[in-house]
Amino acid sequence: MIDSVFTYRNPDTARAGEGQLNGLKIAIQPNISVAGWPTEAGSNALVNYKALEDATIVQRLRQAGASLCGSTRMSEFGFGLQDSSAGEALRQQAADAELVLDYMGESRLAALRAAVCGFKPSYGLVSRFGLVDLIPSMECCGVLSGSLKNIRDILKAIAGPDELDFSLPDEKIPDFSPQKIDPRKTTIGIIKEAQSNLPAGQEKPFRASVEELKKAGFNLQEMSLPDLSLFSLVHQIVGSVEASSCAGRYDSVRYGQRAPGAKNWNEMYLLSRGSAFGLLLKSYLFQGAYFQFERYQAFENACRIRAHLLKEMHRFASLTDFLVFPAVDNNPSDAPASLADTYAQFASTLFANVTGQPALYLPPVPGAGHPGFQLAGPRLSDSKLLALGEHILNTRREGK
Amino acid sequence: MEFEAVIGLEIHVELNCVTKMFCDCPNRTSDEPNVNTCPVCLWFPGAMPRFSRDALEKASLLCLGLGAELQPVSAFDQKVYYYPDLPKGFQLSQAHLPLSRGGGIDITDEGGKPKRLRLHHIHMEEDVAKLVHEMEGRIPISLVDFNRAGVPLVEIVTEPDFRTPYEAMEFLKALRTQVRSVGSSECSMENGTMRVDANISIRPRGTAQMNTKVEVKNMNSVRHVGDAIAYEISRQGAAVQGGEAVILHTRLWDPEKKVTLPMRQKFEGPCVPDPSVPVIELSQDWIEKMRSRLPEMPAVKAERFVKQHGVTGEEATFLSSDAEVAGYFESLIGQGTAPRTAMHWLITQLMPAVRERKLELGSCPVTAERFAVLLKMLAQQEINANAAREVLTHMFDSDESPEAIVSARGFRQISDTTALDSLIDKVLAAQTAAVADVRSGQGKAMAFLIGQVMQASGGKANPKVIRELLTKKLGAAS
Repeated sequence: MIDSVFTYRNPDTARAGEGQLNGLKIAIQPNISVAGWPTEAGSNALVNYKALEDATIVQRLRQAGASLCGSTRMSEFGFGLQDSSAGEALRQQAADAELVLDYMGESRLAALRAAVCGFKPSYGLVSRFGLVDLIPSMECCGVLSGSLKNIRDILKAIAGPDELDFSLPDEKIPDFSPQKIDPRKTTIGIIKEAQSNLPAGQEKPFRASVEELKKAGFNLQEMSLPDLSLFSLVHQIVGSVEASSCAGRYDSVRYGQRAPGAKNWNEMYLLSRGSAFGLLLKSYLFQGAYFQFERYQAFENACRIRAHLLKEMHRFASLTDFLVFPAVDNNPSDAPASLADTYAQFASTLFANVTGQPALYLPPVPGAGHPGFQLAGPRLSDSKLLALGEHILNTRREGK
Repeated sequence: MEFEAVIGLEIHVELNCVTKMFCDCPNRTSDEPNVNTCPVCLWFPGAMPRFSRDALEKASLLCLGLGAELQPVSAFDQKVYYYPDLPKGFQLSQAHLPLSRGGGIDITDEGGKPKRLRLHHIHMEEDVAKLVHEMEGRIPISLVDFNRAGVPLVEIVTEPDFRTPYEAMEFLKALRTQVRSVGSSECSMENGTMRVDANISIRPRGTAQMNTKVEVKNMNSVRHVGDAIAYEISRQGAAVQGGEAVILHTRLWDPEKKVTLPMRQKFEGPCVPDPSVPVIELSQDWIEKMRSRLPEMPAVKAERFVKQHGVTGEEATFLSSDAEVAGYFESLIGQGTAPRTAMHWLITQLMPAVRERKLELGSCPVTAERFAVLLKMLAQQEINANAAREVLTHMFDSDESPEAIVSARGFRQISDTTALDSLIDKVLAAQTAAVADVRSGQGKAMAFLIGQVMQASGGKANPKVIRELLTKKLGAAS
C-alpha cells in the first residue's frame, strides 16, 4: 500500500537532528530538490533526473531537525491532482506533514481529500530555490498536516529571505510565534459571488461553515466581487503562458529521454519535447503558446485584470480581517481530466494563487455536513491566519 | 531615381564583468569548453537566476557614458525561441522595460559637418551558448559550449539616423572609444566582445518613407560593417530598379566573397515578463552615484586639451580617444614637459616604438616619468633630437635612467665652442666650394656645411651652436 503513495523512500531517516522540528516526519514531492534523490516531477521529461543540490526549504527543514521520509507520487509537474497521492502519506500515518506545491490549490484540495489542514503561504514568503517550477508567479510550497502546530513550526523553519532566491521581496517576515484571536474583534468577510457561483448542492454545506464561524462569535460581513469569475480566466491565461515559457527548459535532451529517429538536431528537440509531456500538460503548454504568440494582447489584458483583482482584495483587506471561501473538489474521482475539467476542479481555490495571499483549508467537524472551508488573509498575514485556524479548531475541541 | 539609405544599428557589447549575469561562474568564454558552468547557467530544474550587481553597474556606466537616461524601473523578460544554443527555451532580456532610453554619439560626417546619431534604447540581456559544428570522420557533429551561456551583454539599439557606411563606421569607432573609457568592455569586434547588426533600407532621396529593411549580421571588424552596408545598399538599389521588392529578412556578410547572403530565420516570439528576476528599481541617488563614477568622457577631454594645453582639435581628439594615451600625455605635462613636445614625441616616436615591440603604452618600460626626463634633457639642449631617439631605443632594453644612458654612451651634445672650433676649421678647409657659395649668399650651402660639421662630430654637436659659429666665421647672413 505504501508503494502506491511513495515513489522514493529515504533510506537514511536516522539522520534527523535536533531542533524545533525534532524528528517530525515530512513527506515531500519529487518536484522539490533533494540532492541525490530522483527529482522527476512526475514527468517523462525528467526521467532519471537526480537533483544536484537541496532546495532551500529542504536544507532548512533538515537544519530544524525534520526527518524527510520520502517523496510521494504526483501529477505531471504538480499541475492538478491527477495520479497524485498527495495527502495519502498523512492518511496512512506514514508522515506527520507533507509538502505539496500549490499552483491552483493542489495543497488545499489534497488536504480536503485527506481531511487534514492544508496551508498555502503568502507568495514570496518561502524560497522557490530548488523547486521544479511551472508557473513561477503563482506557485508556492503548501504544507499539509493534521496539526496546525506542525504547519506553524514548519513555516517558521522555512520562511524568510534566501540568498539563492533573489525574487523574494525585501520585507518583514511575520512572527510565527503563537498568538491569540479575539472573535468579537475579528471580522470575516464572505464574498457573495463565491457563494452563489457554487455548483448545485454545495451552497448549503458552505452556509453550514459560515454558521460555525458565527457561533464561534466572529463578525461576518457580506461583500460583493462581481468579477470573481475572472480569477479563473486570469489564471488560465497567465498561468499557461508562464508554463509554456518555463517548461522550455524541460527539454528531454539533457535529461529525460531523447526521442529516437530524428534526422537532425532540431527534429530531435521537437520529437523529444513532443513525446515527453503528457496530454494534460501538453494541452496547457499549447494554450500558453497560443496566447503568447497569437493573442499577446489577451495576455496583457489578463495581467491588467490580475492587478485589478489584487486591488479589489486590498479593498476587502481594509474592511475585514479575513475572508472565508468555500472549498470544493469538483473532480474527486480523479478521472483523466481535460484542461477545462481541471480548472473547474480548482475554481474555489485558485484565487489565492492569482493574488499571492495566504489561504488555509480547514477540514470540517466530522459529521458537520460540509466539506470544510478555506480562510484567507492579506499577504503576510500568515501567522495570524494560522492563529485563526487554531482558534476555530480549539473552539471545536472545547465544544465537544 | 536616386536612392538614399536608412540605416540603424544594433550593437551587442559583452560586459567585462568577473562573473556571468545570473550566477557566480567566471565570465571567461575562452576557457576549455563547459568548465565555467553551474546549475543556473545550465538551467537545471530548480535553478534560480541571481542578477549580478556588477553587471548592473557596468551596464549603467555604459549607458551614462553614452549620454543615455537610466530608467527608474526596468525589468527582464523571457524571449522565447527554441534552438540548441538556448536549451532552456528562453533568453532573459529586457524587451519591454529597457535599462536606458535616449542618448547619442556625435560624429563628423563625410562632408566635415557635425552629426548626432541618436540611440533609441540600451537593454541588458544574457548571452546564449556557443555552437561548434565539426566533423567526426564523415559524420557531422554539433557541440554546445555553455561557457558563453549567461555572459552579461548590453544591446545598444540606435535610431535609423545613419545614411552612409562612413557614418556607421565613425559611430562604431566613437562608441568603442567611449565604452572603453568608462571601462565596461573592451569592445573588440575581432574577439566578439562587440557584435554589430545593421538594419538597412533604401528610399528615393529626399523622401521620408520607411521601407522594408534587411538585417545584416556577421561582420567582425568596423571595416566589414562599412563594406557590408555599402554592398547591401547597392544590392537593394539594383533590386528595386529591376522591379523587385525588398523582403524583410536577415543576411550574413561573407567577408571573403564580399557579399551578403540570405540566412534561415530563427523563430522568435513575443516576450513575457520573467517572474524570477526582480524588477530593477534605480533611485535618483544611485544614478547620481554612478554618474560620479564616470571618468571624463573623450569628447569632454578633447575640448579641455585644446583649451588647457593648446593642441589642435584634431590632435586633441586623437590624444583623448584612448584613455591610456590621454593619461600618458597628461602625466608628461605634469612633469614639466611642454605640451607640444609631449604630444609630438608621444605620437611620432614613443607610440610607434611601443607598437613595433608589441607592447602596451601603459605597461611598457618607458614610463612617463622616464620619458619626461629624456624630453627635459632634449629641451635643455643637453642632447639633440637624434640622440634622444637613440636613447629612447636603449630605454626599452635597460632600466638605466636616461641621464645614465646619455653619459655612458656619450650622447651628450657638444655645445662647447672651443671643441667645435677646430672641427669647423677642418670642415671649412676641406669644403672650399661650399664656403664660396655661402659667401655669395646661397642658403643651401650653409645647411650643407652644418651637416658636414654634425657628421664630423659623430652627431653630437649642437646644430644651433654650429650655425652661430659658422655665421661668425664666414660673416654671412644666417
